[in-house]
Amino acid sequence: MESKSRVFLLLFFTFCTSFALLVGASLASAWESAECQGCHGEAAMVGNDLVVNAEVFATTPHAEMGCPSCHMVSNSHPDGEPVKKLGCPMCHSKAAEEYSGGIHAEIAACIDCHDPHSALGAASVSGYAMNQMCTNCHAPDTTAKSHAEWLPWLPQTEVHLGTVPCVTCHTNSKEMAITWYISNYKVPDGEFTPVSYEELAERANNGEVPQIIDTNNNGRISINELSTFNTADEYRKLHLAGMMIPEEFSHDFAMPENRWDCTFCHASGPDALQTSFVAFPEADGTLQRLPVEEGAVLDALYATPNFYVIGATRNPILNWIGGIILVGGLLMPLGHGTLRLLTMKNRRH
Amino acid sequence: MAQKKYIYLQPTPVRTWHWINAFGFVVLILSGIQIRFPEYVNIFGSYKAAIELHNTAGIVISINFCLWLIYYLFISRTLVKTYVPTTDDIRYGLVRQSIFYFFNYFLGKPNPHHPTPDDKFNPLQKSAYLAIMLIMMPLLILSGIVLLNIGSLSGLVLALGGLKIVVAAHFLLACCLCAFMFTHIYLATLGETPIAHFKPMWYGWEEVHEDKEH
Repeated sequence: MESKSRVFLLLFFTFCTSFALLVGASLASAWESAECQGCHGEAAMVGNDLVVNAEVFATTPHAEMGCPSCHMVSNSHPDGEPVKKLGCPMCHSKAAEEYSGGIHAEIAACIDCHDPHSALGAASVSGYAMNQMCTNCHAPDTTAKSHAEWLPWLPQTEVHLGTVPCVTCHTNSKEMAITWYISNYKVPDGEFTPVSYEELAERANNGEVPQIIDTNNNGRISINELSTFNTADEYRKLHLAGMMIPEEFSHDFAMPENRWDCTFCHASGPDALQTSFVAFPEADGTLQRLPVEEGAVLDALYATPNFYVIGATRNPILNWIGGIILVGGLLMPLGHGTLRLLTMKNRRH
Repeated sequence: MAQKKYIYLQPTPVRTWHWINAFGFVVLILSGIQIRFPEYVNIFGSYKAAIELHNTAGIVISINFCLWLIYYLFISRTLVKTYVPTTDDIRYGLVRQSIFYFFNYFLGKPNPHHPTPDDKFNPLQKSAYLAIMLIMMPLLILSGIVLLNIGSLSGLVLALGGLKIVVAAHFLLACCLCAFMFTHIYLATLGETPIAHFKPMWYGWEEVHEDKEH
C-alpha cells in the first residue's frame, strides 16, 4: 500500500513538473510552429540536420503540441545560442523508465528509433513498419538466421518473423490483437508490403478506402463483409495479411519468460484472438483501424482464409465434423464387436 | 482333420513398412491432438516438442509412403493387382464380403476370401486401401508438406484458398485415417483367432488349414 502511494506521488510530481515545463516553455517563447517551419521546412535554409518535413510532422501527435513545446528558443533566435530541448521522458516518463533498465538503453536513444518529427501513434504504425525500425540495427538476414538455428527454436521462422512484430515477443507488451493489412496477392517468404493508399483509393467507391471492406460504412467490419471481400472477383489480387500486435506497448525489452512458451500464442481460450482490426492506409500516411466482429479469426472459410495460428484458431464446427468422423470409425468396431460377442457360440467349431 | 499349412503372406519389406507406418501414425495422432488442443493435452512436455515430433514423424511417413509406392510400382509390380478391385470384385465381391462381415460372420460361416500371396486382400479391403493409400494418404502428405513450408509455398497456399482450407483438409483427412485405423485394427481381429491376422504381419507367415484351401 505504502509503495503504491509512493508511485502515485512520483507520477503526480512528474506530471506537474512536465506540465509546468511545457506551459513555461510555450509562454517563454513567442514563436509559433508555422514560423519555425518557415525556416526549418527548407534544407537550403537550415541544412539537412535541422530540416523538418512539415507535411509528415503534421500527421504526428506532436504537431498538436507545436514546436515550442519541446524546443525552447529565445525571441532573438537564431542568435547563435544553443536551443534547449525537452527530453522525451518529460512526457513519456513510463516508457523512459521501462526503457532505461534494458540493454537497448545503453546503445540507442529514443530518437534512434522514434524520430519525434515523424513518429506516429502506435495504432497508426503497421506491424510491418514496426519491424522496419528494428531492421535499422538488426539486419533481417542475421535475425532470420539467429531465430532458425538447429534445431530451429522458432519453427516456421520466416512466417513468424513476417507475421509477428519483434516487439510482440521481445518486450513486455500486453493485450494482443490481430490487425489485418490489405496486401497484394504475391507474398514472398511470408513477408508482405501493405498496399498503398493511392492504389486502394483507385479501387474504392468515391475514394473511401475503408468501404472496400466496410461496405455499409458503419465503421465496423462484420464477418459477412470480410467474406464478401475475400470472395469478390474484383479484389482477387488482394488479401488480408494478419499480424499479432500488442495493444498495450511496453519499452521493457527484457523478453518475458512466457514468450518462450509457444502456447502464449498457440492456445485457444475464451478471449484468445477475439480482438481484431483491419487497418486501412490514409492519404497522409497514417492508418485508420476499424474494429472487426468477434469470431472472425475463428471463421472456418472465408472471413480470414489465410490467417491460421495452430492451436489457437481452430474452428469449432471442424472439430465437431472431425469428432463425428472418429465416432463413425468407432461405431463399426463397437457395433460389430457387440454382435460378435453375442453370437460367439455360432463360431465354436 | 485339417492339417496346418503356412504360406508366406507378408514379405519383410512390407512388414517393415507396415510397422514403421503404424508407429508413425500413433506418434502423428498423439502429437496432432496436442498441437490442436494445447490447453487440454500435453503429452510431449512442450508445444514445440509436439510440433517437432509431428514434423519428423510426418516426414518419415511421407518417405515410407514413397518407398511403398516404389516397391509396389517398380519392384513387385503388383500395385494394380493388389489394390485395384477387379470388375468381379465390384459386381459381386463387395456384396459377398459385406454379407460375410455383417451377417454370415455372426452365423459362423466361413470367410469367402482366403488370402494368398497373389491375392492378399478381399474386395472390401482393396476398395478401402485404394481410397486410403492412393487418394487420402497422398492428399494428407501433400497438405502436410504445404503446411511445413507455408513461407516458401505461400503462393500455392493462397491459390488453394488460403491457409485455413489447407489446415481444414489436413485435419479432416487425418480424422478419416484415424477412423480407418479403428476399423482396421478391429477387422484384423476377425481371423480364426483374434491374433491370427496379426501374426503374418509380424512373422510373415499365415497359418491356413488344408481343407479350407479347397
